[in-house]
Amino acid sequence: MRSQPWLFTALAIGVPWLAAILTAVARRRAREIGFTAALVAVAASALLLRATPPRESLGEALMVLFSCLTLGATLVLPRRDCNGSTIGGILFLLGSTLLAYSTNDLRVLLAAWVLSTVPFFVKQWFRARIWRPRLGLLLSSIALALAVGLIAAKGHNMSIGSLQGRSPGGMAVFGLLVLAVIFRKGILPAHAWVADAAEGGPAIPTALLLNGHFGAMLVARLIMPLFPYTARDLFPVLSDLALATALYVAIRALTENSPRRLLAFVALSQSASILAGLESRTAEGITGALVHWFVVSASTMGLFGILRLLEVRFGENLTASRHLGLAEHAPRLAVFFIVFGLALVGLPGTLSFCSQDLLIHGTLASHPQTGLLLPIATAMNAVSVFRLFARLFLGKRRTGFTVMADALPRERWILTAGILFVVLGGLFPNAIVTLRSAEAEAVEGAIDSPADRDPAPGYKSPAESWSKDEGLRDGPASHRGQQGPSAFDQGPHGDFER
Amino acid sequence: MDYSQTLLVFVVLAPGVIFALLALVWLAGWVPSERFISNITGVTFSASILALALILWRLAATGSPSVSVTFGNWFTVQKYHFPLVLLADRLSLPFLGMTVVLVGLIGQFSATYLHRERGFLRFFLLLHLFAFGSLLAFSAGSFDLLVAGWEIVGITSILLIAFFQQRTPPVENALRVFAIYRACDIGLLVGVFAMHHWAGTASFDQGLPRLTGLQSAVVGLLLLLAAAGKAAQVPFSGWLPRAMEGPTPSSAIFYGAISIHAGAYLLLRVQPMLASSVLASALVIAVGLTTAIHGTMVGRASADAKTSLAYASLTQVGVIFVEIGIGWKAIAVMHILGHATVRTLQFLRAPSMLHDYHKMQSAIGGELSPTGQHLEDLFPKNMQLWLYRWSLDRGHLDTILDRWVVYPLMRLSRLLARLDYIGIDRPKDHWKDASVSIHGNARPGSIG
Repeated sequence: MRSQPWLFTALAIGVPWLAAILTAVARRRAREIGFTAALVAVAASALLLRATPPRESLGEALMVLFSCLTLGATLVLPRRDCNGSTIGGILFLLGSTLLAYSTNDLRVLLAAWVLSTVPFFVKQWFRARIWRPRLGLLLSSIALALAVGLIAAKGHNMSIGSLQGRSPGGMAVFGLLVLAVIFRKGILPAHAWVADAAEGGPAIPTALLLNGHFGAMLVARLIMPLFPYTARDLFPVLSDLALATALYVAIRALTENSPRRLLAFVALSQSASILAGLESRTAEGITGALVHWFVVSASTMGLFGILRLLEVRFGENLTASRHLGLAEHAPRLAVFFIVFGLALVGLPGTLSFCSQDLLIHGTLASHPQTGLLLPIATAMNAVSVFRLFARLFLGKRRTGFTVMADALPRERWILTAGILFVVLGGLFPNAIVTLRSAEAEAVEGAIDSPADRDPAPGYKSPAESWSKDEGLRDGPASHRGQQGPSAFDQGPHGDFER
Repeated sequence: MDYSQTLLVFVVLAPGVIFALLALVWLAGWVPSERFISNITGVTFSASILALALILWRLAATGSPSVSVTFGNWFTVQKYHFPLVLLADRLSLPFLGMTVVLVGLIGQFSATYLHRERGFLRFFLLLHLFAFGSLLAFSAGSFDLLVAGWEIVGITSILLIAFFQQRTPPVENALRVFAIYRACDIGLLVGVFAMHHWAGTASFDQGLPRLTGLQSAVVGLLLLLAAAGKAAQVPFSGWLPRAMEGPTPSSAIFYGAISIHAGAYLLLRVQPMLASSVLASALVIAVGLTTAIHGTMVGRASADAKTSLAYASLTQVGVIFVEIGIGWKAIAVMHILGHATVRTLQFLRAPSMLHDYHKMQSAIGGELSPTGQHLEDLFPKNMQLWLYRWSLDRGHLDTILDRWVVYPLMRLSRLLARLDYIGIDRPKDHWKDASVSIHGNARPGSIG
């Protein structure tokens, strides 16, 4: 039984990578190879999830989610894009992402982080004039590499589990990790690359890249468990930045006419709130963030997939500046689009209604500004999504097209599966919420209950090292390191409670 | 679960189930016939009326004040839970009855009115979804569930305004209405979250959440924002004439009967909370009074039947708000029921009435003498002209909203766009004229 998780992990990661190589040889069978490899990854990840206790299953749940997204991508990918190069890149991205989710070693995490960006450099997926996505991905990789390098230089063990609660590398590593999150996730002021990537890159692989949510993963799996004290003191800054990003790009989307950029802005705005939820330090907020992660990923993939299908059918010069009336030609795609779109912005009856309810409720307690501003950002995003829907699908029909260009059965079934996930998940959310709730308790516990872990020899809390080494603080903070982590939880009036 | 509880569940869920079934068979590729759709609609709402009658009979027989059904929690995270409670009490039962009766009537009327219309199935799908949303909102035992129904009503309203999707104005007006709905719904969402935060619950099946005076005032004002948006009260009245772009039956059921009164229902539900705050009560009265005056003046200057009726609705809803603010709950409920019924009839009759008028005018060889225009004669002549201009532009409310809210937001968005494109080639026309939809393109007198 012990070897089975390793076997499942190896299958989930190895099969996509092998299949990626195979697509270079059997180019004509690219879709079949991609579908099979993704299916194997889904099955292996699901078995892995089943074998893992609920409180420790965040990585495994994310593996299942990303495998399912890739499986859907291999089906919804239009024939024009379905070549060995694209499918190979997608499978490579799948293997790398699953490796990042499953690893417990910092070096492997760094390698997976870098590998997941490789297809976007090697295959020239981004047009030459678009440099910001490459820069964003590169800077995030450099920041993470420096953080891992600093941890290694301090002589720490590289296992994530053994570093929990020890603040390895101190403030410098914490800062570098936060920078990696900012660049990878597209948090203000590094948000512009996300829209550039969506517009200039291949729609579906880019959507997969964005939906890996490596930034949020780094927060949940690394920053909060490794730096519970620093995160408690300083992480609200990142949370506020995420909130500012959500508002900024929501306002920005109001006048955007490029459908891809508009969708990227809305997706970024909605997903930025995941960070605010993770940082809320409440079970509701963290659970809401994790559920939101799932629903944003599914909805965004659906929307980008439909947009690509429209581009293939009606030309790539789609715009939200005038009415195109495409619902006349593609009524089912119109319905899929509006359901995914409204699911992204919290329509009741979809899973995002529950996730946003939890998220806002959870953040209201710790950060009232989040609870007030997130509904405003969501309202603006809803207007943007409906504007895009209205401009693309409604209005006078395009006279240049006389044929019905609706979803093919292959596309229809996979999009229906996506709709069923967000709708059935919304009608019966308890199963998903309960699982995420267990994972949320683990994340919450990593911040709020570090007392039961032994600090590393010579460990200094960030506040202590600041006060002693850099002279930035003094006073009661300096007692924390001497008394050990158990002294940190001093109740609501403790020195370090916010 | 006794039979009255089962019946309540049936009444609420039946239209939702029909919507889901019709949508699924359409997605699978089968388009049901008009006869099938109208029959299934008729059967559903007839059964719902019967079920509601049985619930009323049961309540009268047992002397019980309400029927409630508890399904447990929709989802739970530690101490936080989202309760699923349906409640049919003395306030919600009249609204439930009004909904099933009027939606059933509209269904029968529309089967003929929309015969061979291209969007026949779409209309009935949205009608069922709207009925489900309304019934959910009126029978919710908690504000959380009320929000769900409230949002569904909003979405169906928007999609029905854009029903004639081949024409640009209905689509653009739907977007404008959607923007106002979403902006005002922030009040409802934040109000409900505030209730959770302060009282630990947003359920009202055991009474309203306990709040202090200040908290009641804050929550009351937030809910007033939501109610004013949904009921098109001043300063959000500008969306109502735009909403007349939808088919007449949907205008009747939404803006003559149910959706327009949903805001009043919300205020009736929290009336004890409003009553505990002088500020909140005064604001409800002020909003209602202003809207009533605004509605009657603009309605008199409206050039088309549906817009006149919409503003007549607005006037009455304004008066209903005043009644709620004063605390006359029973009068407000009776006013709503009477108004909804009469206004639905007027909306449905409007197209054929215009036809009758034209026939009469042809028969007498001229126009009929105008009636009901004596009130404005009380004002001096120069003021009459000023008031006419003011009414013709619908109180300049859209202009004020555009100038103070929409344009600054759009300018900010364009500024951010310029910042985004620093250092790279700016794609042409990507953000130049995107704001057209937000400030809309409806012109006074263009709708009808």
